[in-house]
Amino acid sequence: MDDNKSAALICTCGKQLQLKYDFLETQVSKMNLVASATVHDFVCQEEGLAKIAETLKANDGHLVIAACSSQKIQPRIDQYLKSHDIDSTQIQYVNIREHSAWVHKDIDEATKKSADMIRGTLARSAKAVKRSVEQKEVSPHVTVIGGGIAGIESALSLSNLGYKVVLLEIKDELGGHVQSLPVVAPTGKSGKEILSGRLEAIKNDKDITIMTKVRVKFVSGEQGNFSIHYLSDDDEEKTLNTSAIVLATGFKEFKPTSMEEYRYGKNPDVITQFELSCMLSEGKLARPSDGAPIKEVVMVQCVGSRSEDYKKDCSKLCCTFAIDNSLEILERIPDATVRIVYMDIRVPFENEMIYKESREKGVDYIRGRVSMTWEHEGKTYVRIYDSLLDKYLDIPVDLLVLSSAILPSDGTLELSETLGYAVEDDGHVKELYGKLRRNETRRRGVVAVGGITRPQFVFEAITDAQAGALVIHNELQGGTIHTVARGAVLNVDDCVGCSLCAQQCPRGVPLMIEQTEAEESDEEQKILFKAAIDTLNCHACGVCQSLCPSGATQLNFLSNDQLWSEIDAVLEGAGPENPITLCFYCEECSVSTIDIVGTRRMEYPASTRLIPVPCAGRVSIIDILKAFEHGASTVMIAACEKDRCHIGGTGNEIAQVQVDVARDILNAIGWKGERVDMFRMFSAEPERFTKAVNEMVKRAKDLGPTPVHDGTAGKWREMSE
Amino acid sequence: MEGDERVSHATPEKVIAPKRQRMLDMVLALSGLKEESTIPLSKVKDELENLKKELAPLTDAIIAFPDSYFEKFLESVKKSNIAAEINDRGVLKESISNLEQALSTADSVSLKALNKILTDALNRMTEVEEHHDVSADIDLASTISTLSDFISEIELITDEFEKAAETEADSARSELVTLAESLKETQEKIEKDPDAALDELQKLGSQTRYGPGLRSIAQVKRGKREGRIDDAQFNRLVKENLLTEINRGVILFILSKMGSKTVVQIGELMQTPPQTIQNALVTMIQRGEVEMVGLDGDAPVFSRVLTETPNATLLMKRIVQQVRGMVKSLEGETTETMKEALGRLQTLLERLKILGAYNEALLSDSINKLREAVDSVTESVLTAQTTDDADNLKLLISAGLEAFARFRLKITLEKGPSLVSGTNVYGEKLDPEVYKNMMDTYLDNELERGTILILIRELGALTVHDLAERTNIPSDRILRHLLRMKRDELLIIAGENHGYILYDVPRTLSEAEISIQTTSDLALHLSAAREELQRILSDLKASDIGKLANSLEVFSKARDKLTSVRVQGTVIDETTLNDVEDKIRSAVLLTYRTRAKIPSTRPKVTIEDLLDIDVPSVLDEYRSQMGYAPLLGFGTIEWEQSKCLGCKSCEITCPEHAIELKPRIEIPKFFEISDDALSQLPSNRSLFYRTVQNLAKIKPSNELILEKEAPGFGTVEVDLWLCVACRTCVRRCPGPEGGALELELKWSLPEVVKHITSTS
Repeated sequence: MDDNKSAALICTCGKQLQLKYDFLETQVSKMNLVASATVHDFVCQEEGLAKIAETLKANDGHLVIAACSSQKIQPRIDQYLKSHDIDSTQIQYVNIREHSAWVHKDIDEATKKSADMIRGTLARSAKAVKRSVEQKEVSPHVTVIGGGIAGIESALSLSNLGYKVVLLEIKDELGGHVQSLPVVAPTGKSGKEILSGRLEAIKNDKDITIMTKVRVKFVSGEQGNFSIHYLSDDDEEKTLNTSAIVLATGFKEFKPTSMEEYRYGKNPDVITQFELSCMLSEGKLARPSDGAPIKEVVMVQCVGSRSEDYKKDCSKLCCTFAIDNSLEILERIPDATVRIVYMDIRVPFENEMIYKESREKGVDYIRGRVSMTWEHEGKTYVRIYDSLLDKYLDIPVDLLVLSSAILPSDGTLELSETLGYAVEDDGHVKELYGKLRRNETRRRGVVAVGGITRPQFVFEAITDAQAGALVIHNELQGGTIHTVARGAVLNVDDCVGCSLCAQQCPRGVPLMIEQTEAEESDEEQKILFKAAIDTLNCHACGVCQSLCPSGATQLNFLSNDQLWSEIDAVLEGAGPENPITLCFYCEECSVSTIDIVGTRRMEYPASTRLIPVPCAGRVSIIDILKAFEHGASTVMIAACEKDRCHIGGTGNEIAQVQVDVARDILNAIGWKGERVDMFRMFSAEPERFTKAVNEMVKRAKDLGPTPVHDGTAGKWREMSE
Repeated sequence: MEGDERVSHATPEKVIAPKRQRMLDMVLALSGLKEESTIPLSKVKDELENLKKELAPLTDAIIAFPDSYFEKFLESVKKSNIAAEINDRGVLKESISNLEQALSTADSVSLKALNKILTDALNRMTEVEEHHDVSADIDLASTISTLSDFISEIELITDEFEKAAETEADSARSELVTLAESLKETQEKIEKDPDAALDELQKLGSQTRYGPGLRSIAQVKRGKREGRIDDAQFNRLVKENLLTEINRGVILFILSKMGSKTVVQIGELMQTPPQTIQNALVTMIQRGEVEMVGLDGDAPVFSRVLTETPNATLLMKRIVQQVRGMVKSLEGETTETMKEALGRLQTLLERLKILGAYNEALLSDSINKLREAVDSVTESVLTAQTTDDADNLKLLISAGLEAFARFRLKITLEKGPSLVSGTNVYGEKLDPEVYKNMMDTYLDNELERGTILILIRELGALTVHDLAERTNIPSDRILRHLLRMKRDELLIIAGENHGYILYDVPRTLSEAEISIQTTSDLALHLSAAREELQRILSDLKASDIGKLANSLEVFSKARDKLTSVRVQGTVIDETTLNDVEDKIRSAVLLTYRTRAKIPSTRPKVTIEDLLDIDVPSVLDEYRSQMGYAPLLGFGTIEWEQSKCLGCKSCEITCPEHAIELKPRIEIPKFFEISDDALSQLPSNRSLFYRTVQNLAKIKPSNELILEKEAPGFGTVEVDLWLCVACRTCVRRCPGPEGGALELELKWSLPEVVKHITSTS
């Protein structure tokens, strides 16, 4: 592709920036790839926006705006241009304010850095292509897996949003655990009452199809075109086509048969908290072994929870449920004695009120553990160690209730194999990003709501379900997806079928398609594949591009050529006398961190050149090596914190691998591996960036000229001859 | 309950990995060492019921077909009178015996009648021969009577030998008593002070001069000194192994000083339980120190292995053989005398063997006289014409002639002496003693083989058992001869009789002979199979399924053979044979199908049994039996780094998890890729290699070990044992120019077995 010359608009931010604009203007005007260089005082204001529109038209959309952070200015410009029906997709931004003028005291240095970065951005702009709006029709159909409270709620919400919904339930009726709760804190209502209105609504909703006694086996396809393979109630394997999936498979209660001290499963009077709930809501409160009335109840908290051997963390709900149930027991049998053996009582939110109530009503709280349970002459006894009194108490009980741990439901791991969501160590479904993308899973079009993501109270599960429904609505847009395609585009001819993109895409977008026709004529009986990428499903992180061995898949806004020519241009003049630290930064956490460094005027050396990438995962080992080839002294990647990759959870880790391998290779070929490094950013801690960048500048100085600078690069050829 | 398995950390049982186990099973199945079982035990009964139901409409016709056939066969035999065309007595005898046996299992009118016809034919044949026999009578009595005297002479000398041996034994006895006593003392010391006990044992070892024992003691001592053997091991070795070695020394002392002994006798002499002696002896036999020389009652007598057997003993052995041959050829009183002589000679031979070494010179005179006498008797028997109507004499005489007439023997006899007197083409000279021994065994062998051949030729196919009965040659010797002659293609295997293999000379039989022979043979098999079939079907059990298949197979094979039996050019009862063909075939198939489903009761085999398996042929067999091949062989995958994209596709597609991309980079190879190869690579890949080459100051010499997996990088490794050589990885590899992988098939199961044993 020919290089296009771009116009450059250089903003003075109302003449506030300490840069030598005259010098900058002459410098930029002299650059190869510039069509015109204009200094403007208020690019973000009405006159500036008009100037942008005018320049765009004159330069066929090729425009570099050197101003403040694109995070601030770009939305405004885009909105303006959109309202004037002008395409803005080729505009490239370079931040000369937060990334240069505000952080460097030396005006000459800052100006020089700004000029270099403008030159780099001009190179990127030269190869920019126009991106157009694309439209895709998908069926407005969503499948909800799991008919508990969360599943019911999301089905109702989706139906209200105009989707056809299929609700799959493994048992023979809807309602899940909530159905058996005698009282749901803090409402005071029973589980049945909470469900009844919803069950009625769902039955009357003609857009919701309920299928019970159904087991999902596996899922194929992608968002907009999933196929759910399931076993129907007569054990027949069937498929169901759908556009998105709500995973609401809930939780299961841990059955502590393996914990010898409680004799659960051997003594019928030892039951779990949920089993007690069932007894209470069925109204049959009696000793299970002989039906005798109940007087003495001991509840044991944290059975299996907060235990290194079982579930490591707190199950969150059990304290509240135990208190609910003990109040319920006392209401029915006022003279009963209820003792709760606890480690710590944890009742969040307004549940504190029922804790207080229970104390007033005489529930006995014993801090300690049960060490053994035994039967003697038809009675059950427990030995409790009271850690406050440092005493052992032997107590006869009619009912020993174990508040056992809450675990993800069965089959979560098996389904993850085809549904593609990530699973946490404890077996729960991992959310895409704990703070901002809670209900999304790693797989696009699959949301997880309710107890499957973590133990949740009933009201939490309900809000979760509603949020999940809205996430899906955002994606499917009612069935007509209409958006500017911004993401990876695959050139099928170049694809060799290695499947690295499909293996590593954080969101599972590329699909591998077997080339059966080509296989038939292949002499070597090769198994041939080609990738297929739906750009509308893509999150535009560029991981596929960084790994693709043939350059077949590239982001439509940042091709390999764009980035490589930017690296080349921005490093012009880099050398032993002018050691440059090149920083690739992701446009998620890192850009915010670096911008905040700018707004807080935290200084760092001006021998740094910054290149934005959508995600750290976009930076390939070739990009890193190219930077060195073009004279960079050190290279750094600024990325999101571990487990906080905003794009899909793994972009930053793939970047880390590239950096690690690059270091190893550099060390092996006679360089210093420390010349490249990766740093995790966090916008609340801007000093992370300054520390990192200072470190890399220091290394550039300490390590001195690179082999490229001193001409020893490529020397191995002479040595081996 | 269901909560447990998710959270509890039960330590997994240490079992062989499932894939590995499956491969192992497959190899076992492939080599026919294990059948594939497809139904659970609980279903076996239903399966058998099914089979029974399916077989019911077929079996009646199958069981009825032989009767129908034999009836028709009898008719045509009568009509054509082919019995008269039979000239080979062997065929007649064999057929009659087959028919008689068949009749003993189940009665059949037609078979009885057929048997009668054949018996008559045989009788007629024998009568004719009797007329032809010429009688001649020679009195051997005088010659034979002299034998007795010579034998008595030798017996007297042998008595002397035994007395002398007894005296020697007596003097050794006192020495033995001291030996046994000190051994006992040492034994008691072992527990308390094994080191001192070992020294004692060493002393005892030198007294008995038992080399292997002394060597072991020295080894153990050194092992202890050098710390290779810990205390517990040392104690155990002294207590068990070394003590046994010393026992062996004492045993050898007894055997050489006190003559041959049984285990019990040795035990008594050493005051040691016979079990201990027995255990010690086994190894001594293996070491070639002791051999079994005879029997005392039922107990074997052991002797020290002599470096050289006295010639007198060898001579005696030959005489015994010669006489044994003659006994059968004589009649009347002479036979009795000869038999008596033979008995005495055999006893003598045993006694000499037990004596082992003795003063040969004393014996040589009388034994030479005996030999001369026996030789002259043999001569006269050979030249004599007798009126004996028994076949044996004539046969044995011709056996001798047969043997001598054989070309090889002639050569040997002519060339042999010149080998001794002159030199061969290599200028070597044969030791006359060696030559003599060689000739002795050679002539023995040739004579016996000649006898066997003649007998078989005249009497029809015979088993080892038959031959042993007729020739008095021990059956193991007969078997050895038979096998040798079979290898020389002088004999063929003609079937079996009561589990013994029938050997026959290659014959050319007439159509009539073949028809009678085949039909009677099949009559026997069919009657047995019919009995078996009826018995099994009356109460079908899982364990009988193999027998059911076998008996149906007998029917199937018999039917096929009968279609080739012709009487005067025509096939008998062709309609019945054709009718029953499909029925038998379906019955056989049904049975095999069920058998394949029933779990095997065959014993499991060890890995060692796999060592000789020829994989490709076994795979072919498996494929033809099962219709598919779950294993294509064992392969190594050649991997070429320069074409590898590190994409892991091979690892992902491998159905057996045999191939893996390891986080290791063979970085020196980055610098060895030719420009041509680089241009074949996908663009970014070659750009990467070029950039690395451009940046490098030095060419690395070591590979890079990565901390964790890196997409796009790595080294491919293949587990030979898991690889089923399916080539999927090769086919999937997206690398340039056909990909980075190449498969090379490996067939060495031992190599694979080594993998199993090293990793499981």
